[in-house]
Amino acid sequence: MSAAKTSGFDIKRSLVETIVAGFLALIVFGPVVGVVLDGYSFIAEPRRVVMLVGGVMIGRFVLSLFLQTGTGQRMLQGFDSGGSGVHVLAPDYKSRLRWIIPALIVIAIVFPIFANKYLLTVVILGLIYVLLGLGLNIVVGLAGLLDLGYVAFYAIGAYGLALGYQYLGLGFWSVLPLAAIAAALAGCILGFPVLRMHGDYLAIVTLGFGEIIRLVLNNWLSFTGGPNGMPAPSPTFLGLEFGRRAKDGGVPFHEFFGIDYNPNLKFLFIYIVLFLVVLAVLYIKHRLTRMPVGRAWEALREDEIACRSMGLNHVLVKLSAFTLGASTAGLAGVFFATYQGFVNPSSFTFFESALILAIVVLGGMGSTVGVVIAAFVLTVAPELLRSFSEYRVLLFGVLMVLMMIWRPRGLIRISRSGVVPRKGVAP
Amino acid sequence: MDGIFLQQLINGLTLGSVYGLIAIGYTMVYGIIGMINFAHGEVYMISAYLAAISLALLAYFGVESFPLLMLGTLLFTIVVTGVYGFTIERIAYKPLRNSTRLAPLISAIGISLILQNYAQISQGARQQGVPTLLEGAWRMEVGTGFVQLTYTKIFILIAAFVGMGLLTYVIKFTKLGRMCRATQQDRKMASILGINTDRVISYVFVIGAVMAALAGVLITMNYGTFDFYAGFIIGIKAFTAAVLGGIGSLPGAMLGGIILGISESLFAGMINSDYKDVFSFSLLVLILIFRPQGLLGRPLVAKV
Amino acid sequence: MSQTFYKKGFLALAVASALGVSSFVQADIKIGVAGPMTGANAAFGEQYMKGAQAAADEINAKGGVNGEKIMLVKADDACEPKQAVAVANRLVDQDKVAGVVGHFCSSSTIPASEVYADAGVIAITPGSTNPQVTERGLDAMFRMCGRDDQQGIVAGDYIVDVLKGKKVVVLHDKDTYGQGLADATKAQLTKRGVAPVLYEGLTRGEKDFSAVVTKIRSAGADIVYFGGLHPEAGPLVRQLREQGLKDVAFMSDDGIVTDELVTTAGGAQYTNGVYMTFGADPRLLPDSKAVVDAFRKGGTEPEGYTLYAYASVQALAAAFNGAKSNKGEDAAKWLKANPVKTVMGEKKWDAKGDLTVSDYVVYQWDANGKYHQLEKQK
Repeated sequence: MSAAKTSGFDIKRSLVETIVAGFLALIVFGPVVGVVLDGYSFIAEPRRVVMLVGGVMIGRFVLSLFLQTGTGQRMLQGFDSGGSGVHVLAPDYKSRLRWIIPALIVIAIVFPIFANKYLLTVVILGLIYVLLGLGLNIVVGLAGLLDLGYVAFYAIGAYGLALGYQYLGLGFWSVLPLAAIAAALAGCILGFPVLRMHGDYLAIVTLGFGEIIRLVLNNWLSFTGGPNGMPAPSPTFLGLEFGRRAKDGGVPFHEFFGIDYNPNLKFLFIYIVLFLVVLAVLYIKHRLTRMPVGRAWEALREDEIACRSMGLNHVLVKLSAFTLGASTAGLAGVFFATYQGFVNPSSFTFFESALILAIVVLGGMGSTVGVVIAAFVLTVAPELLRSFSEYRVLLFGVLMVLMMIWRPRGLIRISRSGVVPRKGVAP
Repeated sequence: MDGIFLQQLINGLTLGSVYGLIAIGYTMVYGIIGMINFAHGEVYMISAYLAAISLALLAYFGVESFPLLMLGTLLFTIVVTGVYGFTIERIAYKPLRNSTRLAPLISAIGISLILQNYAQISQGARQQGVPTLLEGAWRMEVGTGFVQLTYTKIFILIAAFVGMGLLTYVIKFTKLGRMCRATQQDRKMASILGINTDRVISYVFVIGAVMAALAGVLITMNYGTFDFYAGFIIGIKAFTAAVLGGIGSLPGAMLGGIILGISESLFAGMINSDYKDVFSFSLLVLILIFRPQGLLGRPLVAKV
Repeated sequence: MSQTFYKKGFLALAVASALGVSSFVQADIKIGVAGPMTGANAAFGEQYMKGAQAAADEINAKGGVNGEKIMLVKADDACEPKQAVAVANRLVDQDKVAGVVGHFCSSSTIPASEVYADAGVIAITPGSTNPQVTERGLDAMFRMCGRDDQQGIVAGDYIVDVLKGKKVVVLHDKDTYGQGLADATKAQLTKRGVAPVLYEGLTRGEKDFSAVVTKIRSAGADIVYFGGLHPEAGPLVRQLREQGLKDVAFMSDDGIVTDELVTTAGGAQYTNGVYMTFGADPRLLPDSKAVVDAFRKGGTEPEGYTLYAYASVQALAAAFNGAKSNKGEDAAKWLKANPVKTVMGEKKWDAKGDLTVSDYVVYQWDANGKYHQLEKQK
């Protein structure tokens, strides 16, 4: 990229690039798109290939020209630099994002008035993923431990509710804290031998653990119902149920208050409780990052060796992050089970772990607001794209790749406010 | 002794050699840029489609002899899958070379979603298959029973080991192999010494894709059926194999594959097939706890 | 600067998406068609959609339902329970459907049916055979097909009475449908005094079953029963034959009713002789002739669940017309009281929503890769 070229367009180079791209596209798309298998023979579809290759060539040509303009050059340089880890703000800097959290809270309070049940369920699912994202954010974003089996703890929470209801007669409210404790314990037991390892091995062990949990749930037919799944109870409000008819002989909510039966009530209630829990977790996380343990997580993420030489007990610090993350997933699992009214192992596949990880990375590792936004984008986007039906997941994948190219550090970069020593105080 | 044990051993060996071929793609990419390439299983899936397409095309042009069919299909599948590997690396991973460690991982998950749905949309959701090419089996009497091995399986074993041997030769004795090894050891130093590391990384993706293509042709021939979802399970298994053998190590990938295949086969055959996957993952977790670098991997030394 | 712009943009997007997508007016009567339109079982979703569309077109041509035209709403659950709940809520609240034809996988139908029941929407599944679908006391959940326990009894009896099985191996794919069926068959076999010598699960999506096949060999089985779908059944039967078990009879269920079985098995030489249970082939019924001919003229073969979906739409339309109301409760009441003449013959439902007559029969695949209903049933 010599300086002389920046003024004018190098059409020849663009043309060469276009032809190369077209040639590659022909090899890539030609067979798979152009020859549709039909039993042991095939149907030729040359038109689709021509359209795709043509599209790629035009796209490449436009991109090539664009990258030769000033804006394009700057974008290219943006890719090359990559950017540094934590970004320190000026001491008196006021983030333009500071109104986002209050605004979101206001929206969240006003929202149920407008929403119908479908929107409510989509948002509940979004909030569940916010919870999962926040939990994994502690593990991956703050402590820098790559966990690919996070869904295991989520499953423990969800099955905790279903199994507790089935065998011990526990309800939503008693399981909620128990599931968090159970998931934390599981995290502790798994974490202890594993956390001594280097980062990538941890990722793989957790991946294995996630699969083991799912397979056991799937195979232990007599206990978990296997693939048939198990029913999970709805939440109750001071012992009042939200069903049309009470299942355990109690009085349903709507009869007690003498209002008409409304199936939305159950979801409204889940929404409110979930929202409060998310707020609480947000607050706790916000405080933790400013406490010594939170600082220790981030320090460990940045440089483990330096931390250990400073006398930090790295296993304990990592374990605390791992356990906290796990317990948050346990909470999310309980909400998921009660929201769906039914759990089965197919909700806890590896893909789910990948999705939660995508939320954390897309949102910006360690950034809370980013995670909240990413969780909503990733859960709401597939629902919005539903009208594209078969292209839905394809577009979702394209979105993920483009997001990573456009903003590899996620939507919102973590930043920390700087400190200026006060005048007149001895350093 | 009625040959059952021996039969299970052979079952495991064929399964494992195929795992090993796919595991190479994971292990080489990890070795060179430290990234878990989650889209690799999907590359295998695409190669299975390509193999079936090539067989259908060749049949259309009247090619019937087995060696010709095989040669044509292998050549076609390997070349096109190699181009896939190259293109994917260019589009989804190269722009992320200097960014965070997790960015390529997410990008890979995105690519794997894209490939799955691309195959589904362009080829339809139905199960695909190829006709049986090589019929017949070799049977050996053992005691009261027998061990039976189809010719296809014998072909797979031979092809897998030839493929492995060729790759080992390339990595050990050619200039390309030396460049790969140098880049793996120290990317910055290698580029100072005049190696175009970007290009080497591209080569590694192509090599991984080529091995996956070989596996794709062999598996498609053996089991005769696949769909757009086929990459996922085999991808996870192959990845497990790569880790088991020591991620980053070539012979480790093959060894890990074979160990995984045999242990799955024996566990399913002797104990219970319900818990066979639980067994393989537990094996993985245990090995990693006691020997984190895998069977043949080198332990990581933290540099200050 | 630009950063905040993007942030605002995304926030706006999120808010807009949460608030702005609802509410549009409708004039037609909407019927949801829910099933796996993507994912590994998308082939069945295609069959649903084809059948339902053809039925809707026909009914609309004859004047529609209570004077309104039927409009189908396609809903994809990818056979995932989580997505099934989401699409069920969407169908109910967003699209305001009057009835639903779906879902396919029992594990999706069960949670989704709770949503329909809450909203008072009538639902009829063309293909979910798990007993739990109608066993939970829901008022407006119907089936167009039989139940696994009925199917298992037919399969078990056939194995004992006709095939004279002594050593039977029962396998399943560890999924709600396959395992439920395998359990029912196993129960019937045990009841008839032929307890299975081996009962095990395979993993869906895997293709290598050689370990299990070798195990079948060492068990000395003469019959293998498989509860599951064709993607696993095809390679399983092929590997049985390849390991030299040529005389072992292979029997499966209505999850393999598609020509793809032959493709997945690697040729008709492997599927030759495979038995399966399925509802009496609707394509052979005199009632379906005109419809089947119309399908074939259009270039598609109404295989598998196509006609089941067709009949489901007909049943819904008949119920709405009969009850003179588009309300789920009224339609459900009517449907439980009156028989409906469908493309699959006259159908009646009991109080649970199951068909009163189960019509499972045994089929066999031939050397040309086609299946035929067997004459000798008992």
